[in-house]
Amino acid sequence: MAVHVFDAMGTTVSIRTVDDSTVPGAGLARTLDEVRACFERLEQACSLYRPDSELSRVARGELSVRDASRVVRDAYAAALDWRTRTMGTFTPHRPDGVVDLSGLVKAEAIAGAGDVLRSAGISSFAVNAGGDVLTSGAPGGGYWTTGISDPADRTRLLAGVRSGPAPGAVATSGSSERGAHIWTAPAPPEGRRPADVVVQATVLADDIVTADVLATAIVAGGRAALDHATDTAPIGVLAVFADGDLAANARLRRRIVR
Amino acid sequence: MRRSSAVILVSASTVTLGAGWLLGSGEAFPRGDAPTVAPTATPGRSADETGSATSDPSEPPGPVVVDGAIVDTKYGTVQVQVVIEADVIVDVVALKLTDSSETSVEVSARAAPILREEILAAQSSVVENVSGATYTSEAYRTSVQAALDAVGFEG
Repeated sequence: MAVHVFDAMGTTVSIRTVDDSTVPGAGLARTLDEVRACFERLEQACSLYRPDSELSRVARGELSVRDASRVVRDAYAAALDWRTRTMGTFTPHRPDGVVDLSGLVKAEAIAGAGDVLRSAGISSFAVNAGGDVLTSGAPGGGYWTTGISDPADRTRLLAGVRSGPAPGAVATSGSSERGAHIWTAPAPPEGRRPADVVVQATVLADDIVTADVLATAIVAGGRAALDHATDTAPIGVLAVFADGDLAANARLRRRIVR
Repeated sequence: MRRSSAVILVSASTVTLGAGWLLGSGEAFPRGDAPTVAPTATPGRSADETGSATSDPSEPPGPVVVDGAIVDTKYGTVQVQVVIEADVIVDVVALKLTDSSETSVEVSARAAPILREEILAAQSSVVENVSGATYTSEAYRTSVQAALDAVGFEG
């Protein structure tokens, strides 16, 4: 097991590879460069923290999304599609009207990193970017285990879930840390009962974009969004409500490490 | 677990009751394309009445759980599960319903309350990754993930 760590998109990315032996030394270095490039490409196009990014120019009214690069247009189109699929709970528009794709591009970068690693012949790996995890294969013929952070104490775990050997994704969204990209589109949390407000949602899915977007939507939309997500997508969910209660569905329970 | 033909008939009837309840008609036997079924051992009981039914303590057998047939109506696919205790329906659980957009949904896919004690088994020593709300590079340094990564470097 080897671990490679680098910073991207304002967070830290950890990549675990089980067997690099099939990739020659220079090949591994080049592969990791390509992985970094996946994050850099999307960040350079879509970061609102970089004044020279395309999306920052869109925000200042200097560029229309229609005239932006394909990277931006594709991400925007995907975000609009997710807005429809989440009944408007996930949205690429900030309350002030600025197009913000930060809820999507990190997951897309993680997915791109996975493609790069597989193309290089690395079949067993885990990519963790800021707490969103994509796994493929499994170490030692077993499975990857991902701990779910306790929002009340992030040094503790609520549970551990397995994934592998098929590709699996675990994404967690919360209102506690850096949740600024979560916009509560239809109803503000103030209008909901604590029992319906989700402070943290963990979603298990086959792909990281689905997992990340739906985790974001569930935190933004509360219990109604949680039910809609499980009704319409084959996902596992663990939700932590504002009153401290937990809810999980069968797909997640089956994957819990006992 | 006991399964008799009488029990199956009960469940088939309840499917229809469930369908009528779903369509909001309040009728036990809705008009139109709803399926027709044979009369049953416990006619006239509705889903609403069964929730409060209690079992006779003199009846030793435990509850019998039967999944009703999957019924296609013009509103979508409907399936219910009935729990029968001492020949009385004590619970009706919707397994498959139609949602507001009239597509069939798996009710069992939904999240239900779970206790912390039920899931808390994993310690950080047995996981490779931690999934949590997005942390900054700053927050990463004091995270469990950073500790796991440091162990990974050594291993």
